Amino acid sequence: MGETKRLLELRGLNKSFGGLACLQDLDLHVDEGEIVSVIGPNGAGKTTLFNVITGIYPPDDGEILLEGKSIVGLEPHEVTNRGVARTFQTLRLFLNMSVRENVMAVQYGGTKSTPFEAMLRLPRARREEREIRRRAEEKLSFFGQRLVGYRWDQPAYSLSYANRRRLEIARAMATEPRILLLDEPAAGMNPTETHEITELIGKLREEGGYTILVIEHDMHVVEGISDRVIALDHGVKIAEGSFDAVATDPRVVEAYLGLRKAQTK
Amino acid sequence: MADELTPQPPPDQPRIGVDEWVASVEEKREQYSGPIGRLRRWWDQAPVGARLLVFVVPAAIFPLVTTEGNLFRYGLITLIYALLGLGLNVTVGFAGLLDLGYIAFFGFGAYTYGYLASGHSGRHWAAEFAIPVAVAVAAAVGLAVGLPSRRLVGDYLAIVTLFFGQAFVVFVNNANRIDFPFVGHTDLTGGANGLDNIDPLKVFGWKVNTTKEYYFFTLGAFVLVMVLLYLLSESRTGRAWRALREDPLAAEVMSMPVNRLKLLAFVFGAAIAGFAGSIYGAVQTGAFPGDFDVGLLITIYAIVILGGAGSLAGVIIGALIVNGVPELLRDPNEAEWVFYTTLVLLVLIKLRPWRRLAVVVGGTIALGFLLHVVVGAAWSRGTAGEPGEGALAHWVSHWMLLPSHPTQIANWAYGLMIAAILMLTLLKGWWRTIAMIPTIWLAAFAWENLLVVQTAGATRFLLLGALLVVLMNARPQGLFGTARVEIA
Repeated sequence: MGETKRLLELRGLNKSFGGLACLQDLDLHVDEGEIVSVIGPNGAGKTTLFNVITGIYPPDDGEILLEGKSIVGLEPHEVTNRGVARTFQTLRLFLNMSVRENVMAVQYGGTKSTPFEAMLRLPRARREEREIRRRAEEKLSFFGQRLVGYRWDQPAYSLSYANRRRLEIARAMATEPRILLLDEPAAGMNPTETHEITELIGKLREEGGYTILVIEHDMHVVEGISDRVIALDHGVKIAEGSFDAVATDPRVVEAYLGLRKAQTK
Repeated sequence: MADELTPQPPPDQPRIGVDEWVASVEEKREQYSGPIGRLRRWWDQAPVGARLLVFVVPAAIFPLVTTEGNLFRYGLITLIYALLGLGLNVTVGFAGLLDLGYIAFFGFGAYTYGYLASGHSGRHWAAEFAIPVAVAVAAAVGLAVGLPSRRLVGDYLAIVTLFFGQAFVVFVNNANRIDFPFVGHTDLTGGANGLDNIDPLKVFGWKVNTTKEYYFFTLGAFVLVMVLLYLLSESRTGRAWRALREDPLAAEVMSMPVNRLKLLAFVFGAAIAGFAGSIYGAVQTGAFPGDFDVGLLITIYAIVILGGAGSLAGVIIGALIVNGVPELLRDPNEAEWVFYTTLVLLVLIKLRPWRRLAVVVGGTIALGFLLHVVVGAAWSRGTAGEPGEGALAHWVSHWMLLPSHPTQIANWAYGLMIAAILMLTLLKGWWRTIAMIPTIWLAAFAWENLLVVQTAGATRFLLLGALLVVLMNARPQGLFGTARVEIA
């Protein structure tokens, strides 16, 4: 473990909205190649954590380091260009664009040709366009039979719920990130699909080489994927460690079930 | 309970294509039935070049088969409006920015061209220099307006740009007596009298003189802009514009600099408007403050929205309808055809199943002849009116009542027709079908006895308005737009 590289590191992160402290003095790190899960009851600040990392909200205080360099104060698209990509808990696809276009559009940050080059179809624009298309197909192919070719030209709204989640992941992958932030990838999925997501996240690391930070409520998924689990409650880290250690930690049980229940147990 | 939570292994066979959503979408596709559906499917599948040719070939042949000078002029103005529509389509259709100051950029184009090439200013630049400068000025002004307002979204952007559009009119009305430091008294715009004596276009030595030549020049410009915009829309920039129209936050998080892209769309729209403006200035041989007011803005918006925001083909159809229909209506004989064609098309398209269609069509025809016979026997004045000119009006006179002094009766019939149409919206099912018969008859009666006489005046706008209401009810997404799904 000592040899691994810190990919993402948060130091003393604070964020509050009005008087409501959503993240308090949070320290967190994700090493290269790791899968880290963030758990916690509703309102624990998990999604706020993602919003602060991706630059949607600036932190009140604290450092966010990506490969040792601060990304605090960058605009969201700049954060993405540095190699952080996320999915949304409430899906935010470009619904009226085709599946393929969804994955093509997000490669904006990775390409450079100007509108004029595009209008005149100069060599660089043509080359980039081919590359964008190839990469979109490559990322969509990652989902194999679940997101097959004939769907690629259909509008995104025509996909089933589970497929929309897959498309969001494909879209995040197309920005060529170092680290993927997945916000409840198994929410609203049936047991079969949940099982698939568990396998998919493993495959994302093994074959895609991504480092993954994931928010998840489904404990089967968390157990199946995590190298390390972090539990949040009211914006405070209350436990960290292996799944078994965190799941049995009295403070975690208390946060989920309440004090009395925890004591009587 | 525990059993339910245990993840089950995936079934052996992947269930490809049995998705409920996919199935329902396929069904919707199938619903493109009938002649219009076939046309739509053909259109969706046709290659882009073929789609362009469908418009360009008739447009290019048009001047060769018509000889009337006026028609050229309408064609030319339609083309200029369509060109303007293309620019607005970038701002509104691609990027989803509500730009209400758009016409000011059109004005900047016309005035800049006039300033550089007119008898008024005494400069006579060639068009190949003057037009690029006019486009650049419009784009620069667009940048200046967009830079502070790009963070504003939706309604706020609309207010800021509307203010800008009005400020432009005030500016050109008064910019004939500005005292610049070091330069002194300057006349930029000719004030309320406008810039007159603008030079005709002179492109690389080719003097564009006649309306026909202007028509071809503008057609060429339009096709050029259209092709460039198509190529742009199928590039990273075009996709990013559409993405930010769908969901700005997701676009921003997914590596697209939303603010910069919005500004770019704004400037692109302004530049195209400037281009159209410089052509317009040369065509009119003048630029006047009244030409660049809210009325034109509404017309261009009607073109873009009617055609379907975001659709390049829609702009052409929109311009043809919004600009062409009022011109067709000018002549009572042509207006007669427009009215009855619209009526028949409407009934054919909207009435399903065919039984209802048969009842309405048959009932209306029968009612007309019946009334003609009954009234003719009982009250001779009721059929004593003169039919209008033209074959169609002649046929109609055997069916419709044409009283000899119709004004008073027709006014009442007109009011009754409006009441009948309002009634129709309250009725359902077969009652509605049956009530349609007297309503259509009343509409035809009011048309024959009241409206057709005034086609050059109020009627054409009334009819255009009614047409727009009906079209937008039938296809809220515009003729060529695709229905947008907001939350699925």
